[in-house]
Amino acid sequence: MELEVKREKLVFRFGAQKFEWNIEPRYWRNPLIYVGLLIVLPILAYFFYPTLLPTLIDANLLAAIAIPLSWMTLGTGRMNFGPQFYIGAGGYAAALCSIHLHWPPQVTLLAALIVGLFFGLLMSPLAILSGGLYYTLLTLLFPLVFLEITFIYTDIFRGEVGLSGIAPLINVGSFTLNQLIIGLGALLMMLLYMFIVDKVMRSRFSTSLAAINDDEEVAAAMGVNVNKMKIISFTIPAVMIAVVGWFYAHYYGTFAGVTYLPLTFMLKVLMVNMIGGRVQIYGNVVGGYFIAFLELLLIQVIGDYSPVLFPIILLILLLTLPEGLFGLYRKRHYREYLPTLHVRR
Amino acid sequence: MNEILKASNLSKHFGGLMAIDDVSFSIYEGETLGLMGPNGAGKTTLVNLITGKYFTDTGSIQFMGKDITRMAPYKRCKLGISRTYQIPRPFPELTALSSVIVSALYGKDRSNQSLDDAGYEATHYLEFCGLFSKRNVLCKDLTLYELRGLELARALATTPKLIFVDEVMAGLNPAEATKAVRLLERAKEEFGVTILWIEHVMAALMKAANRVVVLHYGKKIAEGLPQEIANDPLVIECYLGSCHV
Repeated sequence: MELEVKREKLVFRFGAQKFEWNIEPRYWRNPLIYVGLLIVLPILAYFFYPTLLPTLIDANLLAAIAIPLSWMTLGTGRMNFGPQFYIGAGGYAAALCSIHLHWPPQVTLLAALIVGLFFGLLMSPLAILSGGLYYTLLTLLFPLVFLEITFIYTDIFRGEVGLSGIAPLINVGSFTLNQLIIGLGALLMMLLYMFIVDKVMRSRFSTSLAAINDDEEVAAAMGVNVNKMKIISFTIPAVMIAVVGWFYAHYYGTFAGVTYLPLTFMLKVLMVNMIGGRVQIYGNVVGGYFIAFLELLLIQVIGDYSPVLFPIILLILLLTLPEGLFGLYRKRHYREYLPTLHVRR
Repeated sequence: MNEILKASNLSKHFGGLMAIDDVSFSIYEGETLGLMGPNGAGKTTLVNLITGKYFTDTGSIQFMGKDITRMAPYKRCKLGISRTYQIPRPFPELTALSSVIVSALYGKDRSNQSLDDAGYEATHYLEFCGLFSKRNVLCKDLTLYELRGLELARALATTPKLIFVDEVMAGLNPAEATKAVRLLERAKEEFGVTILWIEHVMAALMKAANRVVVLHYGKKIAEGLPQEIANDPLVIECYLGSCHV
């Protein structure tokens, strides 16, 4: 067995067999490399640094919220400041069904889906009726109203304490192994979301979303059914985000609105979106991991001051990198805006 | 010639301002109808009423025998009505090719058309408008002349029967304007479209239009052949500034 690094080539010899792999930059874009890395990361953490597993789960879940949010932002042409509303809806639906009806997680998933769909459809007309700033303000308001409701109806939502006793997502007897399986589950969910949204972005559907994002009126004049596209782009991501709420509820075994519904959580999700690049689905993964690890680092290094320093660092990053981390790459490769089409003359 | 569009007694007011006041006219298949009028005469508002941006207060619009008065803009587009804008309105974050693809995909009901097929079709329209080499350039990076070409390519990609061209020569230098007019003539020849052309440059309109409609303060004050319009005392008065309708 022999490994040889040649110019722009990695040669691997095993007996009489020879395997070659090009390491030119254009081959680095193969998504399988990055998917492989993301899978290896929690496995390595499990063996060498298990305390890192919750951070990896957090990173994947943040990315899983931000990916559908990107679709929502692009398809409605407006920035939604309340994605955590759907986390709350899905989480509470799962928690209530699990506690009161003793439904297992796979059944409460259905409840979360239905509740997400209901609220998604109920609120989707907002994307048609309200303009940019009003839409943003209204979406910002809904999670806060929901939070108030959880305080008012404490007999149902248990206020600040939250609901506890939710059936765990998985229990194999070992806490660390549970964390690893949940981590891989969160990663799988994030990758599934990425796959779905990536498929959408590469389909004929995406051109209409991009057109709506740029100029709704012109898009309508060119034959795009703007209202239909907006409702689809609002409702499906809302359902996807509600499923993340379901995941949170069963992962922690408790669910309190005060953890997910306030502005602090919203800030984190939006930062993932902004740091990665506003509507860059791959950027969301970069953003998710960046934010989760930055938060961990700040807690370990400066402890008590991290809640103050965290938003300040993020604001500085926003000012210095308005198009996000992925935007830096995009600036140099602007021809690769999706959909990338190679045409023959 | 068959009547392709019939607008009857159209009126539209914005608050106290009567933008369009009881305007009726018809467009016939294959013709180029010129729409003239001083600034603020209501030309663009009239186009907005027909393409569906605004709904009329009174009156009706019939396109190929079908009532489209209250029809949504995207449905009108699918029926065969397309337009360009006075101030180009590209999709700034899309490439030239992608923005024409939007029209090729959604301008007609083509549920089986793939994105790649739409790309090939869009390429044809870009090439027709001389923008093939700019296909991968973001629309926000195109020049004004290129944007005018792109608007036309986008409108043609919806395979329209009737195109509203809103001041295609505005902001272009004489050489570019001549090229733009020639492009429109070629579009009419090759794609057999009917054109309603709003223009301030009289010389171009008098040469290209089969008939001309003149608006002033939202009212139609004249309609006829270009030569008749050019000699109409009311039109001359309106353009020279002593006309009050």
